[in-house]
Amino acid sequence: MKMPLFVLLAALGCNSNDAPQSTSSVELLNVSYDPTRELYQDENAAFAKAYERDHHVTVTIKQSHGGSGKQARSVIDGLGADVVSLGLAADIDAIADKGLLAKDWQSRLPDHSSPYTSTIVFLVRKGNPKGIADWGDLVKPGIAVITPNPKTSGGARWAYVAAWGYALKAGVDPTEFVGKLYTNVPVLDSGARGSTTTFVERGIGDVLLSWENEAYLAKEQAKDAGFEIVVPPRSVLAEPPVAVVDTVAQKHGTAEVAKAYLEFLYTDEGQQIIAKHHYRPRSAKVATDLPKLELFTIDDLGGWTKVSATHFADGGTFDQIYGK
Amino acid sequence: MRRLLIGIALGFMALFVVVPLATVFASAFRDGISAYVHALGDSEARSAIKLTLLVAAIAVPCNVVFGLAAAWAITRFQFPGKRVLVTVIDLPFAVSPVIAGMLFVLLFGARGWFPGSHIVFAVPGIVMVTTFVTVPFVARELIPALEARGPAQELAALTLGASPWQTFWRVTLPNVKLSLVYGAILCTARAVGEFGAVSVVSGHIRGETNTVPLHVEILYNDFHYQAAFAVATVLVWIALATLVIEQALRWRMRRRR
Amino acid sequence: MQVEIEALSKAFGEYPALDAVTLTIPEGELVALLGPSGSGKTTLLRAIAGIEVPEAGRVKFGGIDVTEVPIQRRQIGFVFQDYALFEHMNVGDNIAFGLSVRRAPREEIAARVRELLALIQLDGLAGRMPRELSGGQRQRVALARALAPRPRLLLLDEPFGALDARVRRELRRWLRRLHDELHITSVFVTHDQDEAFAVADRVAVMNQGRVEQVGTPADVRGQPATAFVREFLDVQE
Repeated sequence: MKMPLFVLLAALGCNSNDAPQSTSSVELLNVSYDPTRELYQDENAAFAKAYERDHHVTVTIKQSHGGSGKQARSVIDGLGADVVSLGLAADIDAIADKGLLAKDWQSRLPDHSSPYTSTIVFLVRKGNPKGIADWGDLVKPGIAVITPNPKTSGGARWAYVAAWGYALKAGVDPTEFVGKLYTNVPVLDSGARGSTTTFVERGIGDVLLSWENEAYLAKEQAKDAGFEIVVPPRSVLAEPPVAVVDTVAQKHGTAEVAKAYLEFLYTDEGQQIIAKHHYRPRSAKVATDLPKLELFTIDDLGGWTKVSATHFADGGTFDQIYGK
Repeated sequence: MRRLLIGIALGFMALFVVVPLATVFASAFRDGISAYVHALGDSEARSAIKLTLLVAAIAVPCNVVFGLAAAWAITRFQFPGKRVLVTVIDLPFAVSPVIAGMLFVLLFGARGWFPGSHIVFAVPGIVMVTTFVTVPFVARELIPALEARGPAQELAALTLGASPWQTFWRVTLPNVKLSLVYGAILCTARAVGEFGAVSVVSGHIRGETNTVPLHVEILYNDFHYQAAFAVATVLVWIALATLVIEQALRWRMRRRR
Repeated sequence: MQVEIEALSKAFGEYPALDAVTLTIPEGELVALLGPSGSGKTTLLRAIAGIEVPEAGRVKFGGIDVTEVPIQRRQIGFVFQDYALFEHMNVGDNIAFGLSVRRAPREEIAARVRELLALIQLDGLAGRMPRELSGGQRQRVALARALAPRPRLLLLDEPFGALDARVRRELRRWLRRLHDELHITSVFVTHDQDEAFAVADRVAVMNQGRVEQVGTPADVRGQPATAFVREFLDVQE
């Protein structure tokens, strides 16, 4: 009996990474930035359960984590991400520039495609011996500041922007201020998590410029060390965005599930998990005990396109500062 | 004088080998044996171990075959491009592993010369890059061994009517057995422990494209320090296993004589 | 089996090792290639074996052109100056090698090994490793190994060069006796004229890649054909 080839293939459950997947189980790859490991572990479990319940489809989500810039470059080089959840919009813009997703990606989900936000705070040692309270304290001589490399880490770029924004508001020359800040940095790790490890495990530095959620995590993990979180009066509203990588999702046939996955992050359940992991949820309905502070956004500095080109491109302000 | 030299050698060993190893094991067992076993039994740890073993199981035999062929060609024949071959064999030593990894991304990445090949950010890329960085070990052990022997015994075999293949199997190979084993051990150790090159081509997909060294880094960065050291001991076990195999082979060779 | 060498030439880079050499080795004879170092005698021997490939000329075994035939198919026995025994095999396996690569039956090989061990007077030493033997013993094993597959031509490259004088004289006599018993066509290379004249049926004196004279020991000594031959023999005497 002759069987049409596609029936045979379907029967064999052909599930090569490239072929459209059979309908009873789906696999997604979420390429994310450094500090979101614990967050997505919980989100993925919750989403899989909900989706199975509603659609009777088993969803397995694989995770990859690393510095935001580095991850973006990997996706451009062919890492098959159905979904990206990176540290800043500029990194996803870079992927869009290469044609892997639509240029208007940021308007496809609410809140500039950022279901959660965070900010940059200071993590200091027990008792805050150096008395750090605000950005101005970071440039004092003898203070060792730990922050990652803006070329590879999203968190590092937010920290840079936060420092720049502080200097502008405080009326000091931002180039000089940020320059003095980086002079006080002994080690430049490639990712936010690497910097956290340098500060916590290796005991280097007096203050860590950290994602807010990372700071809470570090404090919990190293309970005995007694780290303290110092929230400056003013910082940047970091908006880490998420997006479906259209070309990849279409190739894998996962576009629908990927969209549902990202939309899940905005639901009550998704937002609660966000709050649980010390991110700032978008939904007003979800309670959070994170402190209120004055937050400015990247748009106040001209938007990521302008900031990236001016500061983080080759030969930009960061290169000039650090090159010295 | 002799005691001084032995003392220095032992001191060096103690400082750079024994103490770090002891630290790794102490940290791995810090929370007890059940925590150790649990760390190794974790599904991501298990898939990392499987991937590392798979990579070694492919890279080492490939390089043994290539090393034998290249060493024999270089020491027994004259051919155009011989110097190029010797240089190519040494290339992985000269090049930083990270550059080696970048080479593969440039060749097989989406923006590379052979796009869409499913090599980088997947297991084939990890296998290929590991094979690349371990190319020199076997060849470089065999070349001096073959050169020292000279072709006399092989010519004798030919005059006695042996075909080139028979000559290789019955005369050449048994004479370089020890060098071959040693080269294979070095190759295995490097294949199992390679970090930089693999890190570049891996994609770091948890449970899929992380080898043991990459997984150790992940655990460390996730604040799971005890688990990180526990998984690190896997590399020590693999090293011990290769040494045991080497001793067994040597013992068998001695017995034959 | 008669060996004919016709206008054989071989150069190593600029250096002409063999210069259109023509020579006939009569069947069943033991011929010595005699000359100073650099005369081309070893190159000629290796060319007959197929180890060196000539640029011009032909080599014939029993009338058949073997110039293009690879070493392993020439059915020769070769005894190297440094013995080249297989160090990782014992004496018995060394001797058996030529037969075992032809996949001869095991009993046949064992019988032949025993036969040869008796011939070289090393009975009972089949299990020894080469490194456990003296120089003279190893040379005899090398000879037995070359003879085991019943070659039609035996080639020896300064076979006694590495041994002391007393052992050399003994082995010399022993080689002659062996040849008288087996009658295999044999060619051996030496720079020692006493050895050549004591052992060989015929001597070919070589110089700078050419054969100066061929003849029985009496002929060559009695009537040296060229000035070189005269001087070479005189000096030694």
